[in-house]
Amino acid sequence: MASREFNVRALPGFGAVAIFTLVMLYLPIIILVIFSFNESQSQSAWGGFSLKWYVAAFNNSQVIDVSVRSLWLALVAAGIATVLATLAALATTRVGRFPGQTMIYALINQPLMVPEIVTGIALLIFVAFLKVQTGYAGMGYMVAAHTAFCIPFAYLPIRARLETMDLTLERAAADLYATPVQAFTYVTLPLLVPGIVAGFMLGFVVSLDTVVITEFVKSAGQDTLPTYMLGQLRRSVTPEMNAIATLFLALSLVVVSLFFLITRKRG
Amino acid sequence: MPDGDGQSGNEIEIEAVGKVFGQGDTAFHALSGIDLTIRTGEFFTLLGPSGCGKTTLLRVIAGFEHPTSGRLRIKGQDVVGQAPNQRLVNTVFQNYALFPHMTVAQNIGFGLKMLGRPRAEIAATTDEMMHLVKMEAMAARKPSELSGGQQQRVALARALAPRPRVLLLDEPLSALDLKLRKEMQTELKRLQVETGITFVFVTHDQEEALTMSDRLAVMNQGRILQLGSPHEIYHAPTERFVADFIGETNFLTLNVIAVQGRGADLALPGGRTIAARVAEGLTPAVGTTVSAVIRPEQARIVPQGTGELSATVEGAVFFGTDTHIHLRLSDGQPFTVRRQNNDDLADPAKGETVGLSLTPGALQVLRG
Ligand SMILES: Nc1ncnc2c1ncn2[C@@H]1O[C@H](COP(=O)(O)OP(=O)(O)OP(=O)(O)O)[C@@H](O)[C@H]1O
Ligand SMILES: [Mg+2]
Repeated sequence: MASREFNVRALPGFGAVAIFTLVMLYLPIIILVIFSFNESQSQSAWGGFSLKWYVAAFNNSQVIDVSVRSLWLALVAAGIATVLATLAALATTRVGRFPGQTMIYALINQPLMVPEIVTGIALLIFVAFLKVQTGYAGMGYMVAAHTAFCIPFAYLPIRARLETMDLTLERAAADLYATPVQAFTYVTLPLLVPGIVAGFMLGFVVSLDTVVITEFVKSAGQDTLPTYMLGQLRRSVTPEMNAIATLFLALSLVVVSLFFLITRKRG
Repeated sequence: MPDGDGQSGNEIEIEAVGKVFGQGDTAFHALSGIDLTIRTGEFFTLLGPSGCGKTTLLRVIAGFEHPTSGRLRIKGQDVVGQAPNQRLVNTVFQNYALFPHMTVAQNIGFGLKMLGRPRAEIAATTDEMMHLVKMEAMAARKPSELSGGQQQRVALARALAPRPRVLLLDEPLSALDLKLRKEMQTELKRLQVETGITFVFVTHDQEEALTMSDRLAVMNQGRILQLGSPHEIYHAPTERFVADFIGETNFLTLNVIAVQGRGADLALPGGRTIAARVAEGLTPAVGTTVSAVIRPEQARIVPQGTGELSATVEGAVFFGTDTHIHLRLSDGQPFTVRRQNNDDLADPAKGETVGLSLTPGALQVLRG
């Protein structure tokens, strides 16, 4: 018997499973978006189209405050994490084997395996100690905690990119009189850009998203958008939250599309 | 940047170079006792089977590997310890290694840019190089938009642009189809003659090595077995491996009857005696058996009873320009004769007994 090529579409129930999965993934989000335009305060009954919850969100200075904080924190933390992750990735792929290399690799990736709550509590205790010792209670702790949390996420795509890169390209550069610094600047770095962008995006999204880390590290008045929303939801659920969530959804779509365009152009 | 001191002298001197990978029980001798002098302006070829250390030797010359032992001089200057970017040697890599994010022109200009040459000079040389390899029309393309042969030409132009003293080429033609390969062989030879740059060319294709080189070295298992002109390597192989690796050969096991100077008299099956050349460094003893070689085109089929040998025809294979006739000598040793198909000769019939006439002085006694 000539075996035909395996075709997943031919499996019984393929269509049903696909539709069910898509619905489970996107239906809640679609409902969230729809009700952000609801005239009434209900999350279940449609009361007509309105932008009033968006207006309310934009007039809510607290929302603006925490959003701005979330964004700059994510930018700064992801930025620093990306630089550190790039250096770590270069050290673990380009320096040749050194004692303790496997150990270092494990240490960099370990935070991905540790439950976030453990990291959160550890940070809580550590930061509380530092606050007492130094008397400083500013955003520095949040930046440091978010950066540390982002590093393994930024590290993964950068390392993957370095590992799949053809080493003879760097050799060719050296052969053509490039110093090690020039070879890095003109050959390695440009080819690494998609990995760096991906690492930054991942770090950015992770920082923007984390509730646990922020919750345990923040001082009074250092809420980010997720912790603020969580606090609000405990009291009352208004479509204003839907509106804010929808805006963030739009932002992340823009970021993802940009990333897609950048990496595709670099091909 | 050749300093214009003419076409004479030695470009690369390699003395007792060895390269060991790994240590202890897992140590692997990729190169052992390599002694080699490459002359300025010559087309030098390293020929050998896969894994014999050709790439390793090129990498030692380019500076990507440090020899475990021995000395290496380029134009009289000891370069062991010099980084690749400090050596006036450029490489055409086995997989081309073109920079994928740069255009053809940027690739070609890269070396000059790294040397800090003025923009105008880079542009002029890049144009000249693109003209040399006939790639002017594709200056703005990326390597991914080129065919294999075009990529190969860009790699060549990129390595030539800084005008290195020496160009190392690691099987640059192996990825090309036969027709393109022949074209590029001619092109490479032309470029070498035009630029006067010393070429060190690596291949495992014996025909390519014979047609292109001024001199070649045959390698096996990390050693150089024989070094010489294509003519010497083909007609006067010193070892069985060399004779076998280059072209087709008849090996004969024969008795030594007399030895005089650089020659020996050997007893042929059937009782006749023939004079043979002896490989350098070898003095066979009278009465011993030796291994001797003769190329299939150095024997002719003649009527039965004439010639030095008598043989039975076992079959004939048609190759277009020539026919290989497989025979068995009277003592059972196999023998092949290559006959040019320039006359409308009929193939001898299977089972027929014929005579064989050997070209005088063609038989060579091998080492080992
Ligand atoms: N970094 C290394 N570590 C260990 N062994 C190596 C290393 N590089 C090469 N070798 C070994 O050295 C030998 C020679 O390798 P080399 O690449 O020089 O072969 P080659 O003659 O170029 O072969 P090919 O025609 O297949 O390219 C091979 O057996 C190879 O396995
Ligand atoms: Mg090789």
